[in-house]
Amino acid sequence: MRILVVEDDTNLNRQIKDALTDAGYAVDVAFDGEEGHFLGDTEPYDAVVLDIGLPHKDGLSVLEEWRRAGRTMPVLLLTARDRWSDKVQGIDAGADDYVAKPFHMEEILARLRALVRRAAGHSSNEITAGPVRLDVKAGKVTVDGHAVKLTSHELRLLSYLMHHKGKVISRTELTEHLYDQDFDRDSNTIEVFVGRLRKKLPEEVIQTVRGLGYQILED
Amino acid sequence: MRKGSIAASLFWLSAGWLIIALLATAFLLTELYSRALDNSLSETLKFHIETLVDRTLATNDPASETIRVGDPRFERPASGWYWVIRDATGQVINFSGSMVGMLLPELTGSYDANNVRTAIESDPFETRMRVVEQAATVNGTRLQVTATGSLDEILELVDEFRGQTLIVLTAVAIMLAIMSTIVARIALRPVGRLGKAIEKVRAGDAENVGGTYPREIAPLAEEVNELLRSNTQIIERARNQVGNLAHGLKTPLAVLRNEASAAKDSALSRVVLSESEKMTQLVTTYLDRARIAARSAVVGKKADATHVMLRLARVMEKLNPDKTIAFVRPDASLPWFRGDEGDLEEMAGNLLDNACKWSGGKIAISMVAERSPSGANLLIKIEDDGPGLTEDEAKAVLRRGVRLDEKTPGSGLGLDIVKELVDVYGGSLQLKRSVLGGLLAELRLPGAKLGLGRGLSALSPQ
Repeated sequence: MRILVVEDDTNLNRQIKDALTDAGYAVDVAFDGEEGHFLGDTEPYDAVVLDIGLPHKDGLSVLEEWRRAGRTMPVLLLTARDRWSDKVQGIDAGADDYVAKPFHMEEILARLRALVRRAAGHSSNEITAGPVRLDVKAGKVTVDGHAVKLTSHELRLLSYLMHHKGKVISRTELTEHLYDQDFDRDSNTIEVFVGRLRKKLPEEVIQTVRGLGYQILED
Repeated sequence: MRKGSIAASLFWLSAGWLIIALLATAFLLTELYSRALDNSLSETLKFHIETLVDRTLATNDPASETIRVGDPRFERPASGWYWVIRDATGQVINFSGSMVGMLLPELTGSYDANNVRTAIESDPFETRMRVVEQAATVNGTRLQVTATGSLDEILELVDEFRGQTLIVLTAVAIMLAIMSTIVARIALRPVGRLGKAIEKVRAGDAENVGGTYPREIAPLAEEVNELLRSNTQIIERARNQVGNLAHGLKTPLAVLRNEASAAKDSALSRVVLSESEKMTQLVTTYLDRARIAARSAVVGKKADATHVMLRLARVMEKLNPDKTIAFVRPDASLPWFRGDEGDLEEMAGNLLDNACKWSGGKIAISMVAERSPSGANLLIKIEDDGPGLTEDEAKAVLRRGVRLDEKTPGSGLGLDIVKELVDVYGGSLQLKRSVLGGLLAELRLPGAKLGLGRGLSALSPQ
């Protein structure tokens, strides 16, 4: 899961990035509205954390432009203005949720998790595929009730595939969603991680669709 | 505030002036009339003197019995009508039949160009007389011919005239007073209109003072509008500054808090954490207070509650996709909320947020109009199927006198801002048990007057 964080306060930006990275997300950051708008417009993100008060271009304008251009990724607004009229304005501009500053980092993580899950069409914190069960909140995977230890990269890969269960996901898409923009993208690493996952999980869970990519089948 | 009445002052002023003017008129008319009578009397007396002089010339003897005047009053004793002919030394030579046992006083003033002098004297019977005396030389003898006429008759006529004048002028005064009262009423009508227009603004039926006014009070209406405008601007500015302050303080607070909680175990981080928590609390408290203070002065605003609640329901459904909000659409006669749209959003939004937070999936919103002594009230009901509150809990949550600055962090329901706003608008908030099983929040707010509200709804900016 790849997340964009647009926040002009460098400290806060770093804190959110660290917290999200720790939670297993690939994170890109932007410090002003224009940069944020450009990244959100060109890169595929699974969710965006967007501050409203940004230099160069304010958050609401950025959000409206994305929505006009057909970008549908879930957006979590961050703002100090916590009046309901601000909230209404934010939601009407196309935001999916809203966190008022100052917030607890857990709040951001919980809201983001819910947004990503909802965007993928899952209503609970647990996603299952056959014997494999993914607890999104805890970031834990079990097979037939037994815990499986995964590295953060493996978890990211599995999580993305399980969120988009039933769909064929290309290697390019996986690369785009699993790594931040500074990562040296080599699609071979995807194959390496898929190979490792297949060893830890029942082999038939992740299917290879020749020439197209990978898929976890719907139950 | 109140001192006297313009209409009454106008009335008394014009009445006072009228009385003075009319009394002066009465006095002047009477004076002119009495002078005219006096003059005519003097002319008559001069004519009689000429007759006497003519007779003296004819008889060539000033003491002759044949010297008489035709007017019979000169023969009636003590009538006030007398004549006398004296020689140059003042010795009486001849006199009228009316002079019985009396003497006429001699005049002392100087003669005018016609050798005539006049005065007012009294005879021994206290009758006031006009006395006219002419010096004439008849056949070489110098004579003083004096004639008098009673003034009392004239004074009687003047008195009678004065009485009639006063009656006529009093009638005129009464008519003028009535007229001035009517004029004052008519002249003051625009003031009444202005008062009504300002009242409409206060009641929230108009945004500014409308209508056209005469030159004298148009500036007052314009000033009131200017005041409303600048008031709105000040509030707007205060709100903006509050918003800026909020943004300015909250981001660093968030940074401090996050940084401290990331390094949980040091003493420094514990202090920073607890202090930043306090600061956050203070910032929130005082921002809320500043907002309420800025907003309590807002006049002339109103909001379509149906519109606001629909919008809030839409937002809450987007934020909580797993909850269903049943919105019972009220009929079109529902009064508007008399107050700021943002404040209504704040109150209803927080209640709705609570409902969503606690509900098991079902929330219902309904709105009705309520009659109250002060006009139409707006009743907004928000209910959920959550755990609800017991009567004691509801009481504790709604306890009066618990202000924002006493609130304990994490009190859970976030009702403080709702309570403060409800107080500002003179509304009420009740928490009951809902038929859905959870909490029923009843928010009662002042409604904007019906009728006018419909007309203005088209004009109010959305």
